[in-house]
Amino acid sequence: MPLKKTGILLASATLLATVTACGAGTAVQENPDNYPSKELDWTVAFGPGGGNDIMSRTIVDILKQEELYPQDIVVENREGGSGAKGWGHLLSNSGDPYVISTTSGSFITTPLQADTGWTHADFTHIGLFATDDMLFVTPESSGLKTWEDWVDHAKDKGKVSVGGIGTVNVDYIIQAALADQAGYEIEYIPFNEEGQLQTALSSGSLDAIVSNPGSILGQVESGDVNPLLFTGPERMKALPDVPTGEEKGYEGLVSMPRGLILPPDAPDYAREWWIATMKKVVKTKAWQDYLDKNHLTADVRWGDDFTVYLEDTSARFEKELKEQGAI
Amino acid sequence: MDIFANLVNGIIGVLSPTTLLFLCIGVLVGMFVGAIPGLGASAGLAILLPLTFGLDPTTAIVMLAAVYYGAMYGNTITAVLINTPGDSAGVATILEGHPMAQKGRAGPALVIAAAASFVAGTIAVVLLTITAPLMAGMAASFGPPEIFLLVVIGLLTLVVLVGRNWQRGLISVLIGFAIGTVGIDVGGGTQRYTFGSTELINGIDFIPVAIGLFGLGEILWTLYRGGHRGGATPMRLDRRTGPFWPSREEWRLARGPIARNTPLGFVLGVIPGAGATVASLIAYSLEKGLSKRPERFGKGAVEGLAAPESANNAAATGAMVPLLTLGIPGSASTAVLLGGFLMWGLQPGPLLMAQEPEFAWGLISSMYLGNVMLLLVSVFCIPLFAAVTKTPFRTLGPLVIILCAFGAFAVNGSVVEVGIMFACGVLGFFMRMYGLTPAATVIALVLGPIAEETLRQTLLLDGGMEVFVQRTPSLVLLAVLVLVLCAPLLGAPLKRAAAGFVRARRPAGAAGTGESGDAGDAGTDGPRGTPGDDSGSGPEDARRHEVSGGG
Repeated sequence: MPLKKTGILLASATLLATVTACGAGTAVQENPDNYPSKELDWTVAFGPGGGNDIMSRTIVDILKQEELYPQDIVVENREGGSGAKGWGHLLSNSGDPYVISTTSGSFITTPLQADTGWTHADFTHIGLFATDDMLFVTPESSGLKTWEDWVDHAKDKGKVSVGGIGTVNVDYIIQAALADQAGYEIEYIPFNEEGQLQTALSSGSLDAIVSNPGSILGQVESGDVNPLLFTGPERMKALPDVPTGEEKGYEGLVSMPRGLILPPDAPDYAREWWIATMKKVVKTKAWQDYLDKNHLTADVRWGDDFTVYLEDTSARFEKELKEQGAI
Repeated sequence: MDIFANLVNGIIGVLSPTTLLFLCIGVLVGMFVGAIPGLGASAGLAILLPLTFGLDPTTAIVMLAAVYYGAMYGNTITAVLINTPGDSAGVATILEGHPMAQKGRAGPALVIAAAASFVAGTIAVVLLTITAPLMAGMAASFGPPEIFLLVVIGLLTLVVLVGRNWQRGLISVLIGFAIGTVGIDVGGGTQRYTFGSTELINGIDFIPVAIGLFGLGEILWTLYRGGHRGGATPMRLDRRTGPFWPSREEWRLARGPIARNTPLGFVLGVIPGAGATVASLIAYSLEKGLSKRPERFGKGAVEGLAAPESANNAAATGAMVPLLTLGIPGSASTAVLLGGFLMWGLQPGPLLMAQEPEFAWGLISSMYLGNVMLLLVSVFCIPLFAAVTKTPFRTLGPLVIILCAFGAFAVNGSVVEVGIMFACGVLGFFMRMYGLTPAATVIALVLGPIAEETLRQTLLLDGGMEVFVQRTPSLVLLAVLVLVLCAPLLGAPLKRAAAGFVRARRPAGAAGTGESGDAGDAGTDGPRGTPGDDSGSGPEDARRHEVSGGG
């Protein structure tokens, strides 16, 4: 008897779970001139408080302040599987112009390492607005204050321990590319989270790390770490003395694309509407403030230019990761 | 002193009717969110954080601190009443909390937990105020080798959890390790046991496993034993023991553990990584080790509830140290808070307290006020929650299953996780049937992957295994480890002698586990010794406590 009852309970609970799962909408035909006329489903493929989330909420805030989107916007964090879930949500709403999401590094790396059922090429690309670059830092106690100091130290030591987040990730590609081109050997130690990465540096376990400027700048200002190199195309406004990788002649320093996408096969009128609207958004003061506060590099590319950019970046990621044997 | 002036200023800063209202709402919302199985403090914060976008940082932080504490207490409620922890740090709470509820002492268990949390929270805030800079240095010195050793110490406490039946305990731990290997291997980037599924690439989350093993597993087990046929159901409150205030005896037993484990929890909480979980486990095993009658543990010993609750709460405050002084999140909840800092336009880092004193001290003071508010709210709400145990199992059981499914779904909105939860429910049932220890499985699942990751990081660092003896903090931890390993060898004969001594003295000195109630319904009670515990203590003993206790 208990077993039978268990079966019934399991069945009813499964039913409950199925019912809650059925929320996916379908594409609806409408007059292109009326777009947008419905509530917008804004998917954040990561958790609250992360880089992707903050950008999404900033854009939504600007859209509301400037009254650019006439209907309601519902922001939802659909995190899981390194973005696979959130962007998978867009995939399952193919053709729907009322589902939208923002991109990040995982938009390119996750399909490279797992069978997501989609790649960056499947989606409708609206535009790229900025890139997220990395700061290369050493602990203050190391006494290494310039990039040249570091390279000399690394060559002397034979092999240095460097850290970053994850293996199939921007961090790893950057560390490997820098070591390759500057001619020193590294032992790359992957971490799962920023907190443990930074304490590994401060405890003297690691010789250097790459970190997001937003999360490490506090320690740069207090003098706990020395910033040696910035991987973006231009120097950071907050750290004008720190050279970029490009100035030092390094290539292949990839960055995270911060852009906007619609589901696969979204209608052209929706894409055009969003390109026109986002052109207004990136001109606002609120957007500039956001870029400055989060130390992002403005890099604006619309429509097909964004598509080309994604293809290039993805090819570079794949090449670097294959060379390093990570995938 | 200057820092206390800062603290007082901070408290005055947040003491306005509006913020108090926010505090109250935050605590209530947090409590209810936390009371849903699986939704812990970090989930509660993540749900509410987006609502604070664009708010003034100080107002936002008041509400979030309140939610933080509310949710932590909400977790305790579910842990005690339906045997399901809300986060990994809550596993130790269920070990004694739930047995207490089964014995009809749900009310006292919840009051003790609230009081332990409050006292620990208060002391921890004072410790935070005084020792933050010192502690920051400690947090910064914890690299992979130290975190690995700390996790190993935590895993050693499993020996205490599984008790005498070590083969079955070992199997339970290995099941946990096995589940923990699923997902992308952070060391090499290869996928392990994901079968190509994107849902599994981040591994199997602790939450659905814990809800399944504890919550659903318990329901299935109760059904199997015929609990739904009414009568003597383990979920029901014994009608004769109605009081919700703990007896004086229970207060007395809880005092020592709270005093001991608050500083312990605070110090371990400062360490980024598994601080709070390890702290609550060590606190539990410490009390079991110190106890003169360890055989009471697992059957509803008050000390075993007060210890992890105070350690857990102190650790939550300790986790604020690296966040405020270094800008480094030490736990899942503080990681969400760090995201909040960025969202509100603050720059986390070592200079935060100097540059934004109003905000930093506002945060510390609202944590304290959150504690006070929590105590007040919980005193009003406990009778309500404790009434849950009076609900017949045939009503409560299905409700709990729905809550379990909802909780498993709500955390990540994943149907796959609901499936995992049900699978673990069945696993939990069979584990109970064959005498395995679900608590050991869950702890192994949480600590196993951290141990693996940090050990591999340590081995990759130059120096290999020697690193462990080359670094001072890791040497200290190694010494602790050796101590923990040797203690049972040396302790066993001593304890046996002590136990013999206690038994000899029992007729005079022994008390029940504090089963004495208030004077009102005492007359009709008769003997109240816990079955199998204190059969020696008769009516006389009980009456003696009625006179002295009667809270």
